[in-house]
Amino acid sequence: MTTTKKTSHLQKHEQEMNVCIRCAYCFEQCPVIREVQWDTEGARGKVILAYGILTGEIEPSQYIADKLFRCTFCRDCLERCPSKVKILEIISSARADMVEAGFASDIQNHVVQNIHTTGNIYGDKEVVSQEREGKTPLFIGCQYLGRPNKTKKYIKILEEIGISPVVKKEVCCGYPLEVLGFKKEFTIHKEQFQKSFPFKEAMTLCPTCTIFLHEGHNINAKHVLQVISEKIPSAHLNMKVTYHDPCDFSRGLKLIEEPRKILKKLGVDVVEMETNKQNSRCCGGGGGILMSDQSLSNDIAKKRIHEALDTGTEILVTSCPTCEQVLKKAAQEIGEAEGKTMIIRSIEDIIWQGIQEAKKSAEATKA
Amino acid sequence: MHIDIKKLQEIVGVENVRDNIADRYVYASDASVHRHLPDIVVRPSTIEEVQHILRYANDNKIPVVPRGAGSGMSGQTVPIAGGIVLDMKRMNRIIEIRPEDVLCKVEPGVINDELNRVLKPSGFFFPPTPSSGMICTIGGMIGTNASGNRSVKYGATRDAILGMKVVLANGELVTLGSNTRVDSSGYQLAKLMVGSEGTLGIVVEATLLISPIPKYRAMGVANFSSLEDAGRMISDTIASGITPSMLELMDNVAITAVNNAQHLGLPDVAAIVIFECNGMVKEAVDHEMKRISEICEKHQGTGVKISDDPKEMKRIYEGRQKLFPSLSRYGEGMVSTALADDMAVPMSKIADAVHEIHEIAKRNNVVMSAYGHCGAGLIHTKILMDTNKKSQWQDAKKAVKEVYEYIQALGGTTSGEHGIGISKAPSWKEEKKDSLALMKAIKKTFDPNNILNPQKLMDAPEDWLTATPLRYHMSA
Repeated sequence: MTTTKKTSHLQKHEQEMNVCIRCAYCFEQCPVIREVQWDTEGARGKVILAYGILTGEIEPSQYIADKLFRCTFCRDCLERCPSKVKILEIISSARADMVEAGFASDIQNHVVQNIHTTGNIYGDKEVVSQEREGKTPLFIGCQYLGRPNKTKKYIKILEEIGISPVVKKEVCCGYPLEVLGFKKEFTIHKEQFQKSFPFKEAMTLCPTCTIFLHEGHNINAKHVLQVISEKIPSAHLNMKVTYHDPCDFSRGLKLIEEPRKILKKLGVDVVEMETNKQNSRCCGGGGGILMSDQSLSNDIAKKRIHEALDTGTEILVTSCPTCEQVLKKAAQEIGEAEGKTMIIRSIEDIIWQGIQEAKKSAEATKA
Repeated sequence: MHIDIKKLQEIVGVENVRDNIADRYVYASDASVHRHLPDIVVRPSTIEEVQHILRYANDNKIPVVPRGAGSGMSGQTVPIAGGIVLDMKRMNRIIEIRPEDVLCKVEPGVINDELNRVLKPSGFFFPPTPSSGMICTIGGMIGTNASGNRSVKYGATRDAILGMKVVLANGELVTLGSNTRVDSSGYQLAKLMVGSEGTLGIVVEATLLISPIPKYRAMGVANFSSLEDAGRMISDTIASGITPSMLELMDNVAITAVNNAQHLGLPDVAAIVIFECNGMVKEAVDHEMKRISEICEKHQGTGVKISDDPKEMKRIYEGRQKLFPSLSRYGEGMVSTALADDMAVPMSKIADAVHEIHEIAKRNNVVMSAYGHCGAGLIHTKILMDTNKKSQWQDAKKAVKEVYEYIQALGGTTSGEHGIGISKAPSWKEEKKDSLALMKAIKKTFDPNNILNPQKLMDAPEDWLTATPLRYHMSA
């Protein structure tokens, strides 16, 4: 097959797309197809669309681009696919060909422009990391830069457990460019990133950045919870919660036990949801879907809240700011519509609360 | 073909009708080698909607192809004549569960594993266990008479069907079968619908026989240095009077594929046999497992392992469960195609059949695996080849023909559980030549305008390779 400009990114996946035998096993827990139930919207459908564009059997269109962007990149299809087809790489390349064919949406272009002009997804030059000296490089990431209180809390936690993070004036890791298919823009941005963050090893706050620092920049990145789980003090918070595994955490980084270990050590009883750990249902917030279909994202998030409600607990803890954001919105809407309560809390809040409790308890023992 | 999209939108709602080329392209294929665009995709959610759609289609002689998960491997859901693809996944209600009558009633879009999840608290399950159970629909299972790894004990979907509601081609709703396990009078029309691949009517409700979940089960595995020994072990086990709940074979091609894709580290032997017994009494199950392990040893089986630990049983079966799609990872440049994929032979002929399949593959420059529910006489094969090369398709065509000729010479049959569709029709028609006229007469009675999944089974083209465009792109 000759490469055409139209499919320059998809070209390398031709054999991989033939490896897909279209068994539909990826339907099992794909949050999008479970919600909308059109074959076109599942992982198999997206791979078929990509194949059609590559072979020229269908022409790129805004309609097809919209389908390709309706994916949360939750990695569940990768878990289900027995042939281990590189589904997300195919979708990402298909998106790149769509973008180069001019089918990116205004909001997607806007985010890319924001990163280009300000170094972060918000397009706000005031959103910057507070530089500090220390020993271990810490990458904050856009999601936490936009939530400075959460970042401060994590830094205080690290200090409490004897770790001194180095923070530089950083720019976005570039994952949004990659996932939205802006490959050329990422290549340019990559140089800027590497100048601003010249480390080979780092801690990170955001699970998605953790993966992308490794995959996109070859940095040996560790999520901060991996570090915290080794040094967390014991506490007696006496809480009962359920824990939502962020997709990039459980399926991407395979970090399943660390957050549970932390919660257990702090005296928090975790009641598991029906789907959890590597089989955890997606919150609906990833893959750029918030930019392309907020309503679908919200419907997916509501399913997750209902699953959490079925545990009989009233607190859901998670370790990803995007999950936290979309689940909070869904929980609020369910609360208003159905009168059911589900409080969404971040794991760093619980950790901070636990550390305070442990300190008080130690002081009381001394006294 | 003119289709009144507004009419269909009025029936099911605008949001449940799509005619964009992107949707049509996705619905043009399933897990088979075939591809053909439908004109439109429609998603009904009620019996009445199905009736209205069929009345409209029948009046206007528009083909209608029902589809569940679209995971069929013979092209049953490929709309070879265009028309309407009827996506049945929205009809996914479990209508009632009646443990006291050992039955349940479901809509066709219910997923097999979802049904079992809902049945579990009542202590029952739906016995047919296809490997694709996590995504396949009951409607699709009825259409193909699907079975799976427990067919050796429980039979196929047809054995678990008591009755059903069917919308006929003219939109009329009929109730077939009964709610009873025995039903001796008249033509068994509910059973006739099973395996009819959507050519006689649209199943809109099914009454299914359910079984108590066995309290105890154990699983074993044995390695064989020759396929013939493995085949003899399988037929000997069945002939001994033991009724295992599973008796599965994997040949070396299958083992290599699973190891390449899943990194499970299965032993590099000629064949692996996996066996399972289940029941309500532990001692009875243990006794049967011991008998099977003795039969393994009699036929030079080595490394026999038996376990009743759920984790270990899952590990033993993992490779088999993920085998079919893993075959695409057998070797660089080769992918798995769903061709000649599920023939059945008399039990005593399994070893002969498996041996000859490998010889045929060698003669025709392709790789063929052999595995499957051999305890039921069912052998799965796949043709592994370079789908980009035109010459490989000619090799595959010749291999398919030779395989089926040999299977028929052994007294076997073309399809044990995946159905006929398009790709198996030429050989199947040869096998069933004495009864084709009767089948055509039945089709004519049910569907005089030939709108229901036309050009399938006895009406399928004579050459599967040119019947539709292939879904693979060929460059050389």
